[in-house]
Amino acid sequence: MSAPVLGATDQLATPPVGPAPLAAEIKSGRWADVWRAITRNKKALVGVLLLLVFVVLAIFPGQIAPDDPTAQTYLPGLHPSWHHLLGTTGRGEDVFSQLIWGTRLSLVIALAVGALATVLSVLIGVSSAYLGGIADGILSLITDVILVLPIFPLIIVIAAYRKNSGLFTLVVVLGALGWSYGARQLRSQTLSLRTRDFLESARVRGERKFYVILFEILPTMTSLIVATFLGAALYAVLAAAGLQFIGLGDPNSQSWGTMLYWAQNGEALFAGMVWWALAPGICIALLGASFALLNYAFDEISSPALRVRRLERSRIPKRLPPPTQPSSTEAVLKVEDLTVAYATDSGPVVAVDHVDLELARGEFLAIVGESGCGKSTLLYAIARLLGSPLPGEIVGGRVLFQGKDLVLLEERELRRVRWRDLSVVMQSAMNALNPVLTVADQMRDACRAHSNMSKREIEERSREVLRLVSIDPVHLHSYPHQLSGGMRQRAMIAMALLFTPDLVIMDEPTSALDVVAQRSLMVQIKELQERLGFAVIFVTHDMSLVSHFSDRLLVMYAGQVAELSKTRELFDRPRHPYSQGLLEAFPSLRGPKVRLLGIPGAPPDLARPPAGCRFAPRCPHVQPRCTEAEVPLYSVNGSLVRCVLQESQG
Amino acid sequence: MTETLLRTEGLTRHFHVGKLLSRQTLHAVDDVDLTIGRGEIVALVGESGSGKSTIARLLALVYQPTRGEIWFEDKPLSRLRGRRNKLAYSGDVPMVFQDPYSSINPAYRISHGILRGMKLHRGDLSRTERRTELTRVLDAVGLVPVSETRRRFPYELSGGQRQRVGFAQALALRPKLIVADEPVSMLDVSIRVGVLNLMGELREREGVSFLYITHDVASARYLADRVLVMYAGHLVEEGPTEEVLHRPKHPYTQLLVSAVPDPRAELGLADARDVGEPPKVIDPKPGCRFRARCPLAIAECETVTPLLRELGDGRRVACHVAT
Repeated sequence: MSAPVLGATDQLATPPVGPAPLAAEIKSGRWADVWRAITRNKKALVGVLLLLVFVVLAIFPGQIAPDDPTAQTYLPGLHPSWHHLLGTTGRGEDVFSQLIWGTRLSLVIALAVGALATVLSVLIGVSSAYLGGIADGILSLITDVILVLPIFPLIIVIAAYRKNSGLFTLVVVLGALGWSYGARQLRSQTLSLRTRDFLESARVRGERKFYVILFEILPTMTSLIVATFLGAALYAVLAAAGLQFIGLGDPNSQSWGTMLYWAQNGEALFAGMVWWALAPGICIALLGASFALLNYAFDEISSPALRVRRLERSRIPKRLPPPTQPSSTEAVLKVEDLTVAYATDSGPVVAVDHVDLELARGEFLAIVGESGCGKSTLLYAIARLLGSPLPGEIVGGRVLFQGKDLVLLEERELRRVRWRDLSVVMQSAMNALNPVLTVADQMRDACRAHSNMSKREIEERSREVLRLVSIDPVHLHSYPHQLSGGMRQRAMIAMALLFTPDLVIMDEPTSALDVVAQRSLMVQIKELQERLGFAVIFVTHDMSLVSHFSDRLLVMYAGQVAELSKTRELFDRPRHPYSQGLLEAFPSLRGPKVRLLGIPGAPPDLARPPAGCRFAPRCPHVQPRCTEAEVPLYSVNGSLVRCVLQESQG
Repeated sequence: MTETLLRTEGLTRHFHVGKLLSRQTLHAVDDVDLTIGRGEIVALVGESGSGKSTIARLLALVYQPTRGEIWFEDKPLSRLRGRRNKLAYSGDVPMVFQDPYSSINPAYRISHGILRGMKLHRGDLSRTERRTELTRVLDAVGLVPVSETRRRFPYELSGGQRQRVGFAQALALRPKLIVADEPVSMLDVSIRVGVLNLMGELREREGVSFLYITHDVASARYLADRVLVMYAGHLVEEGPTEEVLHRPKHPYTQLLVSAVPDPRAELGLADARDVGEPPKVIDPKPGCRFRARCPLAIAECETVTPLLRELGDGRRVACHVAT
């Protein structure tokens, strides 16, 4: 470090965490990773091995095959024996030797067509999407026309017209007709990339178009390009064999397709020369299978979502139960020792680590923390909504709501509780509302699913809840896109209130809104809550947002409760160094202007949490004992704090 | 104010929306006059859709203005001809993007964009000089130890570190003005301040000016010398930061400032009833665009678009009523 930088709060002192690497990032970034992924994936392994065998056969047929494939030196129609592993042909050639010599041409055609089709797909698909406008119109039209052409009959016609014209024509014809599917895929992929900022960044930098296409777009699409190649190669194997089988192409060349052609002409099956026909067929299938397997494997490696992982519960570390807290009988929700984990390639990750909390009737509890601290996972676990989009499994603990343990409820029983007694408001109303149904339709669906209200009752109730959130009921028959962002969020809240629930769970409901709309929505939520008496769990990354609204504040860090206090208390006397850091991390509009420092470092990787206190690596008050043992929650003046500094206080 | 580096005159950008037959004109930015001094940090504040990102893209030459002119070092950009001149300008005025997760090419090491920028804009540098310069800028943005960070791929870095890469890319061009479009809004609270401080330091050490575009009024106060407030495509108020944020003149600025959540203050409830949102400015008629939500609106606001007028002390406001 040559010059100390004061504001460098997130240096590489701790292992950086971010979202899971994208497919393209794995691929182009690290060849070692690619290698590991391939050797771990069974499909990839089988595919690579098969292909390798064929490649060896194609390169060294002379060394491997026992005979000259064209030498008609034996008796025709011999059965398999030690001398002729697969018997002889109707013309007295050794089938096994023909098979091995045939590998070369079949493989060359597959690879050459694959390469040609891929180059064409890339050029046409990517330029079409990136250039847009008229260029896109023309190129897309050509692609679509080729896509709908009956390719195989067309190839037969062309090949018949240029009969016996050899390998080059075959490759060109197959390649020229086989690129359209890949081009379509690459085009749509490029379209989705086109709005990515790194391309705009390259343009602002002043890069020329061809540079952007070749060196900025293409490298990010390696996996799709490889998939296009494998797909085209598979198509070439089958198409070439088909053409040769019906006698197009050079029948005197050595390939599996021509073997089939001669076997058919020699009536191999009737004459008892089964392997003459069967062996090339099997080879074609195996080569095709190796391309197909590699293609599947690539898909799986590049999109981790397709991989099935099992959660190994035995690898989740056990912890001592936390101290029992006095429990009020008024509690509407009691979460006990709740633990949520999800499976990753490197073992289970505990996203919510033994969380306890209790919510009184009509209480407003806010949960704050940075991205990846487990706040949303906790919320989804309480509502039993884990799976999609948030992965995870509850591996321990209870969620007691109305005397029932939600963790143990069947989906059918859950449906009775959800929405009627416990409802959820999601972060983005635009994603949570169905864009093709009106607000009224969606409210009706909800009412029908959870009650047997009549049509009139539903209409009346819908108007009533809209008025509750200050939306004029004329908007009842509007579609979501006709409402402004703030109104959509209000409509979501109105829907959550259809059945006067006891508990409303909210996941950053205001984060997509501007400050003015945000504040008015917060005021409204608070008013409704006081009027209707439901309890609220409100998740947010912005603790100042809830400062005037929540009764208690739960600060989460790395999957654990760091501090749980009365809201005012937490703002006035934050006890956990992380809470203190958060409070000092954002500038204020009022008061003297002070230089802020934020919190150095980044949150830990939950797959490898640090020993002892998880905040220790970033903590300004860290002591040796912090990293020695797991830090329990200490109870201090009604607050719970996970910090050894509180030991003497509690 | 210091010497003027960049100013705009009647800067306007419209977009066509809708199908061929129902074509309408969206007024993203209308008649904006702004100035940025040498070594100055100017915050452009407004809600989503107010046109602030369009201004960033106009200054970065992504969009051509529909009307109006941008003057950079007293030269009009509309006269900029040829690739070389445009490259020279975009080297002087680079941009840092909002989303650190999408603004760096995932296929390359983080040094890629920095080295490419130097290759394009500082062709006189040799290979070794570019390497030295790479070390300098990575060090300047706090991505240390450089010997290690320069080899990283974007996915190995946290959001805050990626945003530093964005600033390093800009810095490698020897810029005079960095246009930073919401550079911290997607970062976690605990690391935002680090990036804000970085901008302040770059101004001190390298003398770079900043146009800091944000919806976060408090961070504008933390960083900027002057604030410009936008509403629905119009510049409605400007002035020294403390003045504008402590004594806002325009009723919209007042609403905006009062809505900022602040645990250290009482909840501003006076106008919390306002549930309005900025209008989409499609084929607008003359008149103040805030009038429907404005507590001070008078008859004149319906017909006459208020222009920015001087209030003294470097403050300007576009309102018929405010004094």
